[in-house]
Amino acid sequence: MAGTGSGRVPLPPTDAVVKTTVCEYCPVACGYKVYTWPVGDEGGTSAADNALGVDFPTTTLSGRWISETMHNVVRVNGERHNVVVLPDPDADVVNVGGTHSVRGGELAQKVYTPDGLTADRLTKPLLRVNGTLVPISWDMATDLVAELSTHTIAEHGELAWGMKIYSYQYYENVFAGSKLALGAIETPNYSPHHAPAEGDDVPGLSDCGIDAFSAAFADDAAAEVLFIAGSDPYETKTVRFTTWQQPGGATIVYVDPRRTFTANYAENSGGLHLQIVPGTDTALYMAIARVIVENNWWDDDFVSQHTASRGELDAEGKWRRVEFGRSFDQFREWITSTPEFALDRASEITGVPADKITRAAELISGGSGAQPKTTVLFEKGVYWSHNYENTAAIGNLGLLVGASGREGRATSRMGGHQRGGQKAAGYPIDKSPDEYDGHKLEMDTERWLVQGNTRFRWVVGTNWLGAMGATDALRKAVVELKAKGPEVTSTRYETALEQLKAQIDAGGLVIVHQEIYENDSTPYADIVLPAATWGEEDFARNNAERRLRIYEKFMDPPGEARPDWQIFAEVGRKMGFDGFDWPDTNAIFEEASEKSSGGRRDYAALVEKAKADGMRGHDLLRTFGTTGLQTPLSLEGGELVETVRRHADLQFNSDSGKANFVFADWDAVATRNEILGPDPSKDEVWVLNGRVNAVWNNMFDFVRRQNSVERWPSNFLEINPADADARGIVNGDLLSIESDGVLDQLGRAHKGGFTAVAYVSDIVPPGVTFTYFMYPGSPANNITSADSSLQPLNLRYNFKLGKGSITNLGPSGLAESMSFAPRNLAPGASS
Amino acid sequence: MPLSRRDFLLAGTAAGATIGVGVLVPLGFVLADDDDANGATGASLATFPRARVGSVSSLGVGDAQFFDYPYEGTPNVLVKLGERVPGGVGPDNDIVAYSNLCTHMGCPITTYEADSHTLGPCPCHFSSFDLSRDGIVGFGQATQNLARILLEVDGDGIYALGVYRLIYGHADNLAGEDLVVVSEGV
Repeated sequence: MAGTGSGRVPLPPTDAVVKTTVCEYCPVACGYKVYTWPVGDEGGTSAADNALGVDFPTTTLSGRWISETMHNVVRVNGERHNVVVLPDPDADVVNVGGTHSVRGGELAQKVYTPDGLTADRLTKPLLRVNGTLVPISWDMATDLVAELSTHTIAEHGELAWGMKIYSYQYYENVFAGSKLALGAIETPNYSPHHAPAEGDDVPGLSDCGIDAFSAAFADDAAAEVLFIAGSDPYETKTVRFTTWQQPGGATIVYVDPRRTFTANYAENSGGLHLQIVPGTDTALYMAIARVIVENNWWDDDFVSQHTASRGELDAEGKWRRVEFGRSFDQFREWITSTPEFALDRASEITGVPADKITRAAELISGGSGAQPKTTVLFEKGVYWSHNYENTAAIGNLGLLVGASGREGRATSRMGGHQRGGQKAAGYPIDKSPDEYDGHKLEMDTERWLVQGNTRFRWVVGTNWLGAMGATDALRKAVVELKAKGPEVTSTRYETALEQLKAQIDAGGLVIVHQEIYENDSTPYADIVLPAATWGEEDFARNNAERRLRIYEKFMDPPGEARPDWQIFAEVGRKMGFDGFDWPDTNAIFEEASEKSSGGRRDYAALVEKAKADGMRGHDLLRTFGTTGLQTPLSLEGGELVETVRRHADLQFNSDSGKANFVFADWDAVATRNEILGPDPSKDEVWVLNGRVNAVWNNMFDFVRRQNSVERWPSNFLEINPADADARGIVNGDLLSIESDGVLDQLGRAHKGGFTAVAYVSDIVPPGVTFTYFMYPGSPANNITSADSSLQPLNLRYNFKLGKGSITNLGPSGLAESMSFAPRNLAPGASS
Repeated sequence: MPLSRRDFLLAGTAAGATIGVGVLVPLGFVLADDDDANGATGASLATFPRARVGSVSSLGVGDAQFFDYPYEGTPNVLVKLGERVPGGVGPDNDIVAYSNLCTHMGCPITTYEADSHTLGPCPCHFSSFDLSRDGIVGFGQATQNLARILLEVDGDGIYALGVYRLIYGHADNLAGEDLVVVSEGV
């Protein structure tokens, strides 16, 4: 067992099996090599005697050291095997030289071990009978899912049948699931893990004509100025920072309400930290833009040649671009006439000193000197506070300084997870009940469910309840729906089927939960389907620079667990649909390539070349190892041609081929801030949430990882020393965080809260606190609102704008054992 | 007073925590204190040399001194935390030592912030370690705690007795056939 402190790890022998894979977690997606060999065998410490070909002890930065947590013992074809998951030391892209984050570095701790910390993987299909989940056969489980689906659709219509599914968990699975839900059933009741509705997460940027993943990591390195907002790249996209951004030497302008590592790094290295009041991004970006415009610092060549005129905008086919698109002249008029974007007023609103706003404008534009290569990068702090306005505002800023389409010049998301969302069919938007000003929108599936309209929901690979806003309110609604109709009292198929149908017909809700572990949603599931995952099947997906790679199978899945695509395929066949008879995951990969055609993920050329060469698509992709290929791909003279960056031809995603500025309504933002922001009369503070370095997402793996739980034995709340002193709070105290102003799925005020351990730190300013967003048992989303009508243009939650009042519940018992060390020590500090 | 192995290590067999949905996760981090040690250990202590690495009288609170162990050229840091910690030696139970080779990619870390007991940030990829909490990664990318040096105090002398957890670069802490073992102390 790994991580015992024994002071040794077994080395892979020279005949170890070597597979290529990619990290499971962040969107950087470092390349890894997996070595497996039978337990009992072992390589030697001389280079000739081990599969790494290196003498041990290895040297500094060798990339060939195996830490105790990089090793584990798994089953391969039923036999016990050692496994080492090593960052690819030969990588010449992404994690060059085998560097890694703490998340990926411990991938060997993720794998299933029947006698280890991952022993509680789901291994059998389960049916809830008399309140308890009991094992059933796969055949019975998929019969039930198929029959209940057919019944729901026949009796209540396809909008009563819903699927809540990850958007990212490999092309093959997303394709198969969406082929069933969107292609065969044609329901609009389909939404991703992170939002109540399908649709674009960065609509303002898209309306500018800019691809959300246009940058290459090489652009970060080539940039002279990096403007980074709403995500700490060192903390959550580690290797992008340590390999590309920091060594590139760009001056960093960093926007964050918290003084994180990257904030300190920027300030210590000649850059800026713009410590923004939460929810005021639009004012900050447009104030910077106004300084640039008023001083004639913008990239006139780019703006004049590549942004649309009013006439060109009026001819666009996309209504939002017609309505909110602005020519440069209109943009200039708008931002210079909006009082809140004037320097002093914007400084008051955003909390950023006026001289820093001016300096930021000067840095990203070059001021009166030469224009630097500027890249603008952002993530969820921007688009999950005010979705449309913030993404429009940061897109505008990028256009103004010509940050697009050229080396070192890009405007792009950094990404939250990897990119595996290759769907099989379009979204049937005409069936959606939601609209804005006569224009159909992707439906809010959570509101629809709370209203009792969803009778069957298939939850796939997500902690649905914990991940949505106003979690408590959603859970209560589910409990009420689950109480309708009879309880299942028998494991016999006919009885269980009739009882579940009766629940559906009584206005109840049948839930199928397809997962690798139980989570917050499982207690409400009627049927649980065990899934196989990373390392247990061949899969493919892209990273945040559109790099497509294979993730090879190297071990057995646990028990009877099956990859998601197989489950979708079997249910699809049993429902009588054609096109669900794939023999293996490669067949889906090849079929999906046709649907990728013409888009950011386009890999049709790869499959075309594979077929021409007499190969399978996966097998050709495997030959590119951890390097992979940057999509979209094309074939020229029989050879694959990659796309390093989007918009390299300075053509943008619009009918005219030009980019454009987009109106961001500050009044709408300010009104929303009034609703969502803390109420001083209730002693409320901002309660922001996000990721932290040592854990990933809902901790489905990391709660089972010794190092992560030692670092974070509890959820935490960062609180400024002044706020802590005023409340008598010290490190390790258990805090109650509550608000009675949480808006639920129907817009009603609701009381929600969670508990967390105090982490007193000036990483947050007074009046602002920060917590991990989905620690098991500490649902921070209990205090984030779920009223999508607040953002009527694009039904998204304001996850990043939580609030609450804080009560000290007394010592947690962790003060003496948990580390409260600073998490923002950056090199070059002057004090 | 010499400190035995049982005082230093390891309560992984005894401690646990129930997290979230009811998953039982062993917490190896919870070090046994002097009075409730259980004798469990994973370190192969007997074969390490005993070497003098410092003196109590010359080590002030907040000081960081560096020494090689168990091989010449294998660096470690010795600190007096000013705060009693599990496994800490000396009159105040606050003297600890760790390998200062970053357990991310092996760069030596020489920056010590005494107020927060933090070794780091590492010059290569900026990991930092909490020396008051068993060398855990306070922030950064390393995949295990710093290798910890088992210490004892004899008179004014501070002695290294062994190493717990893998030292960066090694596959086996005791398999450095070509390395020169530091001189044994008296």
